[in-house]
Amino acid sequence: MFLQQLINGLTLGSVYAIIALGYTMVYGILELINFAHGEIYMLGAYLVIIFLGIFTAMGLTSANFTLALILSIILTVVFCSAYGFTVEKVAYKPLRNAPRLSPLISAIGVSIFLQNFIMLTQGATDRGFPYRFGEGHLYFLNVDITYLQAMIIIVSGFLMFSLRIFIWKTRIGKAMRATSQDKTMAALVGINVNSIISVTFIIGAGLAAVAGVMVAAYYGLINYFIGYIAGIKAFTAAVLGGIGSIRGAMVGGIILGLVEGLGAAYISSEYKDAFAFIILIIILLIKPSGIYGREIDEKV
Amino acid sequence: MLKLTSINTSYGHIRALKGISIEVNKGEIVCLLGSNGAGKTTALMTVSGILKPDSGDIYFERESIKGLAPHLIVKKGICQVPEGRRIFPKFTVLENLETGAFVSAVQNFNKNLERVFSLFPILKERKNQTAGTLSGGEQQMLAIGRALMSNPRLLLLDEPSLGLAPILAGKIFKTIAEINNEGITILLVEQNANAALKLSHRGYVLENGSIKLHGSGEELLHNEDLKKAYLGI
Ligand SMILES: Nc1ncnc2c1ncn2[C@@H]1O[C@H](COP(=O)(O)OP(=O)(O)O)[C@@H](O)[C@H]1O
Ligand SMILES: [Mg+2]
Repeated sequence: MFLQQLINGLTLGSVYAIIALGYTMVYGILELINFAHGEIYMLGAYLVIIFLGIFTAMGLTSANFTLALILSIILTVVFCSAYGFTVEKVAYKPLRNAPRLSPLISAIGVSIFLQNFIMLTQGATDRGFPYRFGEGHLYFLNVDITYLQAMIIIVSGFLMFSLRIFIWKTRIGKAMRATSQDKTMAALVGINVNSIISVTFIIGAGLAAVAGVMVAAYYGLINYFIGYIAGIKAFTAAVLGGIGSIRGAMVGGIILGLVEGLGAAYISSEYKDAFAFIILIIILLIKPSGIYGREIDEKV
Repeated sequence: MLKLTSINTSYGHIRALKGISIEVNKGEIVCLLGSNGAGKTTALMTVSGILKPDSGDIYFERESIKGLAPHLIVKKGICQVPEGRRIFPKFTVLENLETGAFVSAVQNFNKNLERVFSLFPILKERKNQTAGTLSGGEQQMLAIGRALMSNPRLLLLDEPSLGLAPILAGKIFKTIAEINNEGITILLVEQNANAALKLSHRGYVLENGSIKLHGSGEELLHNEDLKKAYLGI
């Protein structure tokens, strides 16, 4: 039972972690809480269903489901990244030197816009994921893991690992870390700060899109409102780990998922969503800088 | 090489530069003097493209660079060592130097690195140390070294001696002369007028956002008004 809940929590936690990375990366570079980020996850969930629908109409899904699924995911990531890129250019860049509250209000505006756009075009009722897959089971130490769960954990782990390599080993990654320490100085050494900011939004949105796809498949049901709750949970994960810290977002996400999984099993499943808020309040009271908040080399 | 014509730059409604014109010729060290708040930093930030002037023009090698993005100005060969050094505190010494090399050709990296290390041997000793833990003097050397990694033709230095003990400040001034001898043109902002003028071919005195005086280093060093106002003699 305990191990089972651990696996369920880990599945959820790895999804929170990859959404949290988007919050923390943008904060690391711009000191901006991108409250429109959770909606990208919702957009990803809808887009993958739409693209799968298109491929079904074209006959590809029945011919080769794996190919159709992979193509749908790639298209979803590309669209969401383009959306994240555009939101930054339209809603944040013009406000870069404005008072800190302005981009926050702009973010909320963007969120409301996307939520309502999806509600109007896709309907206000729940949508189901059209295909079931990965339903086979692995049994390990008396724990029942579905293929889909294993896939979510592996894909999330792979994405987090790749992101670390990107940030620590590549030239662009180094430019991102320089920009997060001092934007003006980064520009003075010849870094194109605007491109670095765009790259940050593109990566964050791409990760949120993958999270949206995985959750749509995992829960099988989505609605236009899922971005709000997931966004707040991922934000909590980012704060828990120390906002601005890449490792913090990963660890924070996993911890939050585990607390939720175990809390739902042993305390009450009705209060599942409340655990995130309780954790958020506790961290803000005890250690607002989060687990890795003070670590010097970790901010993006 | 660098020419500012009637530059006006503002912060919101406050005009910090009121129509300044400055010229720096190839191979020179030109200093820009003035007390706190005169507009020296604003002038350098305008040249580097961090601040956009309201009017006036900036030419580098006869080409207007006004309105160009900061990273493109660095690419053209103008690099700034800003006030307060602004090294990347979380990076090691070597990583800081690598950021300086972002715009220069990869094949020049080792050559530039050797040059910086021969100018500042202490940086070689400390190359794996986190830059935030360096002393003020070492941070200044790192900031200058980082700028040199971009292979600049014009180096802008904003108060490099600020907060340094006299011996260290002297060493920095000596290095500036050495860098200039290697053919790099220098625009030096200083409050330490005496030391700066001794080093410079020409100088400008900025007061309240306007140029009050200009002349050769020698002339300014013996100017009575300047002596009273800035040299404290
Ligand atoms: N970020 C800023 N916002 C508003 N005013 C500023 C800012 N930076 C400088 N100033 C003002 O512009 C004037 C020139 O400042 P600065 O260029 O920093 O002078 P200096 O470098 O000669 O000490 C000063 O009056 C200063 O108060
Ligand atoms: Mg200054």
